[in-house]
Amino acid sequence: MSQIQSYQGALLQARGVTKRYGAFTAVDSVDLNVMPGTIHSVIGPNGAGKTSLFHTLTGTVPITAGSIRFEDREVGHLPGHQRVQCGLARSFQVTSLFQSLSVRENLRVAAQGRAPRAALFGWRAPREGDAATAMAESLLGRFRLESVALRAAALLSHGQQRRLEVAMALAARPKIVFLDEPTSGMGVDDIQEMKQLIFSLKQDGFAVVLIEHNMDIVMGISDTITVMQLGRVLVEGTPNAIRSDDRVRKAYLGNMITGGMN
Amino acid sequence: MALPLALSSGSLATELLIYAMAAMACNLLLGYTGLMSFGQGIFFGLGSYASGLLLLHLKVSMALALLGATGIGALAAVFVGWFAIRQRGVYFVMLTLAFAQMFYFLAYSMPDITGGDNGLLDIARPNVQFFGQEMFNTGSPWRYYAFVGVVFLAVFVVMQCVAESKFGRTLLSIRDNEARASAVGYNVKSFKLLAFVISGAVTGLAGGLHAMLTGIAPLSSIEYHVSETILLMTIIGGTGNLFASVIGAAAYVVTADWLASVWPRWMLLLGLLLIAVTLYMQKGLWGVLERAALALRSRRAAAPAAAVEAGQGEQA
Repeated sequence: MSQIQSYQGALLQARGVTKRYGAFTAVDSVDLNVMPGTIHSVIGPNGAGKTSLFHTLTGTVPITAGSIRFEDREVGHLPGHQRVQCGLARSFQVTSLFQSLSVRENLRVAAQGRAPRAALFGWRAPREGDAATAMAESLLGRFRLESVALRAAALLSHGQQRRLEVAMALAARPKIVFLDEPTSGMGVDDIQEMKQLIFSLKQDGFAVVLIEHNMDIVMGISDTITVMQLGRVLVEGTPNAIRSDDRVRKAYLGNMITGGMN
Repeated sequence: MALPLALSSGSLATELLIYAMAAMACNLLLGYTGLMSFGQGIFFGLGSYASGLLLLHLKVSMALALLGATGIGALAAVFVGWFAIRQRGVYFVMLTLAFAQMFYFLAYSMPDITGGDNGLLDIARPNVQFFGQEMFNTGSPWRYYAFVGVVFLAVFVVMQCVAESKFGRTLLSIRDNEARASAVGYNVKSFKLLAFVISGAVTGLAGGLHAMLTGIAPLSSIEYHVSETILLMTIIGGTGNLFASVIGAAAYVVTADWLASVWPRWMLLLGLLLIAVTLYMQKGLWGVLERAALALRSRRAAAPAAAVEAGQGEQA
């Protein structure tokens, strides 16, 4: 009972989320509650269904069964592009940019996605004072991309591309942002910077749902951690609870989660 | 607009402008949205028939005939696009191809309306009127050219606005990465459909103008060959911007006219040109011009520098 009450204020409530591809069940009746202004990490071994869960929550692929409530509105049946206007946005594990467009234009287009009708029937060129243009400018600064603002996204370094990837998710002013391995392939220095960035999102009031393999980040900045295995939720809890959980240790086959401390 | 200086035939110059419009419309799909449509001939042919029928049976004014051609082009694009954009890549291409065939046989099998094999004949070209007052006589080839030139300029300006607009720039993002465009909040299908409709409308207009140019709306105007020609012009010109399509259409029309007088199998040479473009100049003729301009500029930039050095040498 106390459990249910504590989920009352949840920004996102997923119940029984299931995703099947033919006979294969990638996500098997997963429940997830994301509280506002928190960082909620989803971890688990490769193939645990983390990215598939992201796909269903953000509408990248249709859900097979279950319900997703966001701010007391059922969004489980909405296509992904409509969930953006509700306040959900995501980044991708494999960098997914508008390669031939400039960095600034990548961000402007992403920001305009909050009001897509203004683009569909937008017969004028975007201007300086537009909300989307202003948002793009502020993100350029925040993600240290000003110096490459006019460069085509394809020509950026890997670290810059990863930053742009995350920046584009924030451009549509979401209330909750899903980051799928934002540090994948990054160097050590870039990873620390990304950790700071993600933490600063929480301070700005965003709810962050994070898939991440880097345990330093997961244990360092998460409020809640959900561990997945074989499409199901294995355990959910605070970083400390997860660190000392036997089942988690077994799932990870060793001590990578404790950083060799135990 | 400088065409009268370069070309001796008014009809040829007019044809060039008409195909330039069609190629621009094709470029909006191919270059800006990443959709390779083999169905542009549908809209061109329907535009021809529409203006032909309106002029033959209802004796409407120039404006109404062109409006009809544009409207039917847009309407057909809604229909074709509605189905075709449901698929991507090769399947999209196949669907447009299938629709092109379907509309061709539809036109062929309705001789009462379309004249079947013969097409519509003796379409009279009306003068431009304004509230019943004759404004401009389009009788001679060069006079009609002037009229088409004005229409062309208007279409070019409108298309350029579309390409530069928020809508056009969203199309570019869809071309680059459809999945991401959807993930940042755009309903990709409605953007594609609208691009399709704009393209269909402009192509229909071009078809209508073409019927008035030749005085006939033949069955061949809705043939698959027209789709192919328009696509060829677009690719030869380059898909980077709209003016490239004008260059592509000009190159095609002028070369075809010249080659046809030299050698009846000129289509073969055109095939070679296409192979050359796809192999060595993927940005089309526009890309070649761009490179030439760049080379010229760098040489010009080098020339004053050399002059300055020479001057310094003299001082020393």
